[in-house]
Amino acid sequence: MASLAAAQVQEVRSITRIERIGAHSHIRGLGLDDALEPRAISQGMVGQKMARKAAGVILQMIREGKIAGRAVLLAGQPGTGKTAIAMGLAQALGPDTPFTSMAGSEIYSLEMSKTEALTQAIRKSIGIRIKEESEIIEGEVVEVVVERAAGGGGARSGRLTLKTSDMETNYDMGAKMIDSLLKEKVQAGDVITIDKATGKINKLGRSFARARDYDATGQQARFVQCPEGELQKRKEVVHTVTLHEVDVINSRTHGFLALFSGDTGEIKSEIREQINGKVAEWREEGKAEMIPGVLFIDEAHMLDIECFSFLNRALESETAPVVIMATNRGITRIRGTNYKSPHGIPLDLLDRMIIVPTTPYSHQELREILNIRCEEEDCQMSSDALTVLTRVATETSLRYAIQLVTTASLVARRRRAAEVSMEDVKKVYSLFLDEHRSEQFLKEYQDEFMFNDGSGVENKKYQLLD
Amino acid sequence: MHKNTIWYKSLLNAEKTCLKEDKIKKIHYKFDDGKEMVEEYNVDTHVLLRRAWKMKGKLGGEGKWAVEVGDPIPDATPIVDGLDITESKDQPTLLKRNTRVNIEWRIRNLPYPIETYSIKANNEDKCIIISTSNKKYYKKLEVPELYRLGLPIEQGNIDATHKYNTLIITYKKPQPLLDMDRDLYEEISKIKPMTDIPNECKTQ
Repeated sequence: MASLAAAQVQEVRSITRIERIGAHSHIRGLGLDDALEPRAISQGMVGQKMARKAAGVILQMIREGKIAGRAVLLAGQPGTGKTAIAMGLAQALGPDTPFTSMAGSEIYSLEMSKTEALTQAIRKSIGIRIKEESEIIEGEVVEVVVERAAGGGGARSGRLTLKTSDMETNYDMGAKMIDSLLKEKVQAGDVITIDKATGKINKLGRSFARARDYDATGQQARFVQCPEGELQKRKEVVHTVTLHEVDVINSRTHGFLALFSGDTGEIKSEIREQINGKVAEWREEGKAEMIPGVLFIDEAHMLDIECFSFLNRALESETAPVVIMATNRGITRIRGTNYKSPHGIPLDLLDRMIIVPTTPYSHQELREILNIRCEEEDCQMSSDALTVLTRVATETSLRYAIQLVTTASLVARRRRAAEVSMEDVKKVYSLFLDEHRSEQFLKEYQDEFMFNDGSGVENKKYQLLD
Repeated sequence: MHKNTIWYKSLLNAEKTCLKEDKIKKIHYKFDDGKEMVEEYNVDTHVLLRRAWKMKGKLGGEGKWAVEVGDPIPDATPIVDGLDITESKDQPTLLKRNTRVNIEWRIRNLPYPIETYSIKANNEDKCIIISTSNKKYYKKLEVPELYRLGLPIEQGNIDATHKYNTLIITYKKPQPLLDMDRDLYEEISKIKPMTDIPNECKTQ
């Protein structure tokens, strides 16, 4: 009995599982129309029209794919939507264009040198579309069973039964495959293909045999015939791989060592040269097509002078992606030197860049953004609460106001209200300090904190003694 | 007749290396188009035990060996991260074997009685098609041996038995194929086996 109940709980949990929300998960594109003119509010984007228009031009540049190695700098105050624009660009480019996103400080690692990390990032941003014969499993799903090892947590195991009109086979699945099946929401009656080498799942549609299962089906439900013949087939498939992936395939030493080396580490430059030669050959023969992608480096001021000069050089190569950097610094010291430069980027590199400024949002725009975030976080907010929040956003920062959305909705849920009211916002405003009030507070009570500079209480004591 | 086929000529022209291990003779072929093949023969019976092709990925990297005839080569270092979906252990597995007079396929884990199966020669697709009346198993068996000599697949040469959950399909080798097997073995016995083999796997 108890085990039955437990199983039910398990089931309920997996159905109501919510997708996690990130700071930029409301962004679905750049919000441009076909003529690349920015719409006021679209695809999660609000305001920032000039910057978005500029991004639209860059988008066109990338799509045409002719110009390699351009650099774009998104410069603007914190919270003016630089990362959002980059994310929107990635979404607008679609899943077939490689988009690598990294933070400037990611290159500092003990495992590989800075230039190696940068080279890998650059090569991850260049895709090759190539036709390859690959083992494909194509069939109609009969059953998906996922079992969790007793005691929770432990390894999951899964079984998938597929059939064609002529045969039926059971497959064992590992954790990764289970995850991607759940992510694609594969269920009995779907016709799917699985690439055996990459594990990529493609939903072709629902089987005609299942057309009468439900009275109501989604608009997108597409019905297909159950495949015939063998489940496993060899098929020519068009793959998009990145140059980095090809590097890894060719550099991995097979044998026992491959078992223990999870990560790729540094890749020899000879291998890269060899791959470049091969790719050039494929392109000439028309076997492959190169897709220059986008490398986005957030917090670009964290790169140091060595990286900048390396980038200078790397951008000139014909197989360079479009590099987009974002920074929120003004005139500051270039890391690794004592020189000051705009955005902390040396002038020679700045000279090669197209600089796109972002400007602070207007009052109305802030209100729209907060509204979008409320929707994204599934929180009902009353109009006066939103007005208060917008005021908070103008006076402090947009990020702080977004934090208050989450916290206020929790407070509202505590008192079982359907809507977040002004009181809830006021309450969390008093509970959580913004950066300015925190500074004020510190200034007031500085003396009572540990390790102050000794100008406070203790001095007074001495004065008394004197 | 077989002596004029492209297949036989390419075998003769290939760069061959021979290695003898106890009762097994291994021959490595390197063809003009860069393909690689390995054959293993039993020295006593002159029968081909295994034939495998090196499969190279288009993107490069070490290739894997694909076995055409004989038992599959056990994988010493299974790829841990890669393959995340495999057929369950209780699913039918196919094995192709070569005997002196027959080509033989064994399909294990196939519990259905012999009446279930229909085994048909299909010369359009150049294969033998196995299908089941209960729609549980379907397989196309390629017969490259015949195809290489330009011979058709004849229904009359196919025979099947079912025992111990195993379906055994045999195809009687036609005379030209028998001739070629004999001539090829003669050709191979002319190659001198390598003598100085580094003996790395023997325990001391």
